[in-house]
Amino acid sequence: MNMLRNKRTKSPLQVMRTPRSLDIELTARCNLRCTYCYFFDNPDIQYRDLPTKDWLHFFEECGSLGIMDLTLAGGEPFMRKDLRTLIDGIVRNRMRFAILSNGGLIDDDIAEFIASTGRCDYVQVSVDGGSPETHDVCRGKGSFDRAVGGIRALQRHGVPVAVRMTIHRHNVHDLENGARFLLEGLGLPSFSTNAAGYLGSCRYNANRVMLTLEQRQEAMQTLLSLTERYNGRISATAGPLAEARMWRQMEEARTQAAPPMVNHGHLTGCGCHWNKIAVRADGAIVTCTMLAHMVLGWINQDSLEEIWQRSPELTQMRQRHLIPLSSFDSCSGCSYIGYCTGNCPGLAYTLSGQVHHPSPDACLRRFLVEGGKIPGLHIQSNGQAAGTWEEVAP
Amino acid sequence: MKPTDKPIANPVAVLREEFDNWAVLFNPDTAEAVGINPVGTVIWKQMDGRHNLDQIMAEVMDHFADVPEAAGEEVSAFVDDLAQLGFVGFEIKKAVI
Repeated sequence: MNMLRNKRTKSPLQVMRTPRSLDIELTARCNLRCTYCYFFDNPDIQYRDLPTKDWLHFFEECGSLGIMDLTLAGGEPFMRKDLRTLIDGIVRNRMRFAILSNGGLIDDDIAEFIASTGRCDYVQVSVDGGSPETHDVCRGKGSFDRAVGGIRALQRHGVPVAVRMTIHRHNVHDLENGARFLLEGLGLPSFSTNAAGYLGSCRYNANRVMLTLEQRQEAMQTLLSLTERYNGRISATAGPLAEARMWRQMEEARTQAAPPMVNHGHLTGCGCHWNKIAVRADGAIVTCTMLAHMVLGWINQDSLEEIWQRSPELTQMRQRHLIPLSSFDSCSGCSYIGYCTGNCPGLAYTLSGQVHHPSPDACLRRFLVEGGKIPGLHIQSNGQAAGTWEEVAP
Repeated sequence: MKPTDKPIANPVAVLREEFDNWAVLFNPDTAEAVGINPVGTVIWKQMDGRHNLDQIMAEVMDHFADVPEAAGEEVSAFVDDLAQLGFVGFEIKKAVI
């Protein structure tokens, strides 16, 4: 009997014809030099800008491919004097856009222009706390007031504002004030958090800005408590809040000997390469801004559609999910394997030198071995407390 | 909607076709997006203001086998739905004075 005849065959996942979204670093210039910036001090990047016409030409290609939205970042996008012309080009080519900014160069004039396009999903402004002391320490004197001024200008003109708070050594003890200021003072519907990560400039300032193990725990505890108090208005896809939530689930699964989670146990930590791609300020097309060394081609020279569909590097990225965590020495014998995704390939690269590797930074076992404790009380399905997370060891 | 109406696709709307002939219609002005099947994709491409519903239906019959009797009503309902979502409009004739 041919057993294979009864074996269910699966079709390989098919990628979309073109990317849905693009992350674009419009400029390599910035008005600030934040001590934990992921963008600057990256030896793989050439810090130079493209002229207006090059971007406009590229936006035409994007429009013809049916790309739906662009996220404009930098550097600082508002450094570009031709930003209105570039945004006009995006609008003309039937796309929407979002902007990631430090907020310091946003005034009523540009806010009014952005609102007038009707195509802006949001402008994300970085605010690292509720006062200049916690923000300016890493971003420079006066940057807090300017960021808040930018947010207020956007709000006056009805532009959706998102705020990202990067948690570091100097604001970790002040998260409550930060949340109060953003959600009550500025009246934002929500804000998101992450943490200073070992990328770019942060690698040179790690001991001054990155959270210690104790601070990471403190941040997790505080953010869990704040997000409960503010009814889920604080979000995270990385950093202490995301880790706290993810690690609690992983520990719960482990203690209950739950079956492996769907899409876990392999390098599934990032799915960006299925729907988006990135372009550096110098026009290099890369898999992701966090993997700026992986150059797939150049805008206006290479076909974006061709790269998207046929680039060997992108194909490899899309096959990461087939690499089992059990194949890595660092994961050997780990009881969390079935509940782990290996996390961000960008951080994996800067920390291990390998893209197709789990990120050491997000390793729960390592966190616990080093003495870390997951905050929060574990409640069993029968409602009884099964002990605190802190008591559990891998 | 009358069978003689000639729908016109909103020129701002974007059709993202995929390899399996399914597609996403996206309106960048409203951020509205809808998925459409291969029949919907054929219909969308005919909505150029020159084809009326009867002619669009004929195009569908030409592209697909075993098209059911009630397909005309479904095509009409589909165009109506797209019109309500702002993806489709109709030519307005000038009144004769």
